[in-house]
Amino acid sequence: MIKKTIKVINKLGMHARPATMIVKAAAKYRSEFKIRKDDMEINGKSIMGVMTLAAECGSTLELIADGVDEEYLIEEIAGLFSSKFDED
Amino acid sequence: MKKLTVKEFYNSNREEFSLTLITKPETLENFITNQYIHRPGLALTGYFERFSFERVQVLGETEISYLQSLKDEELYDRFKELFVFNIPCFIVAKGLSVPEQMEFLANDMNIAILVSKLSTDRLYHSLRKYLEDVFAPTKTIHGTLIDVFGVGILLTGKSGIGKSECALDLVERSHRLITDDVVKIILRDDVLIGTSTNDYGHFMEIRGVGLVDIEKMFGIQAVRLQKRIDVQVELMPWQDNLDYERIGLGDNYVDILDVKIPIIYLPISPGKNVSVIIEVVAMNHILKVYGYDAAEIYTKRLQEDIQKKARIRSALIDDKE
Repeated sequence: MIKKTIKVINKLGMHARPATMIVKAAAKYRSEFKIRKDDMEINGKSIMGVMTLAAECGSTLELIADGVDEEYLIEEIAGLFSSKFDED
Repeated sequence: MKKLTVKEFYNSNREEFSLTLITKPETLENFITNQYIHRPGLALTGYFERFSFERVQVLGETEISYLQSLKDEELYDRFKELFVFNIPCFIVAKGLSVPEQMEFLANDMNIAILVSKLSTDRLYHSLRKYLEDVFAPTKTIHGTLIDVFGVGILLTGKSGIGKSECALDLVERSHRLITDDVVKIILRDDVLIGTSTNDYGHFMEIRGVGLVDIEKMFGIQAVRLQKRIDVQVELMPWQDNLDYERIGLGDNYVDILDVKIPIIYLPISPGKNVSVIIEVVAMNHILKVYGYDAAEIYTKRLQEDIQKKARIRSALIDDKE
């Protein structure tokens, strides 16, 4: 299991479109994927879960992946955040 | 280009338009080539510029009384000129009688004159509707059409994926079957109307059982003859790497006879209750028609929430007191 802390840096935060991108990217991997924000932990492969976080710009999230391809999963998801989901 | 002989028109509509043929039967061989109707008022007066001769010509009381007001020789000469044009046929409304010379020349030039008992207005509109239907663009599609809560759902997908089984399940939930397997689609007033290609009844093939008669089995309430097609649902086997719609913000559309209708790609897997999903698709479509888009509302609320949080966060950071 690996964990990585990242920050939401796109202005609009994790609204519907970024949430869809995350879920679709995560669905390609076999590892389990969770996202933690404050005291909330959700399944990163569930769209409603990811949207429930309502993560705003500047908030901190913890990505938690567990499985055979966990590193690749974390890498791709973190990449989405750092590329600001092609927004801004 | 579609063609209809005057004979076909006459034989299939004799009763509906209460038609009688007053010229000899050989005049019925002409072709009707388009859906439009013309009332040849000006052509009767001798003005033939832009005369839409290729259309069905309808004569009402005005035209007939004008013709009757003409002198015999004048009438003869006029029709001599008029019948040079390749006119498919004349239809006279209100059971009016036509001048003898016209009948004589029509026989001579092989142009049919049909007399209808309907009023000019009735005749004009019914005829228009009939011809529009005959010449309307049509297409047949491999699929099943079912009316779910008043929404016409066109189920498509590969053979054997379970379209008929899904339709059967929907019929059992009191929805109405229009046709199974082959849907004939007619474009009528920019609306897609789906019907069966035949009138044998509402039969359906269920794999392993054979043909079943839906109307006999479930009653008249379970079937209908035609329905506007509102949404296409394409059933497809679940594929792991395919992008399925997750939120429903961007609708997908499909083009049928140049009309755009929403299409939903529905992945199915064993044990999944497709008919409930189809019902949900129908209800969601109704809500959207009424102006309520669940995906939009949810994402709007989410965005507001995110923005509110972002404001509070920046206020806390910027507060240097």
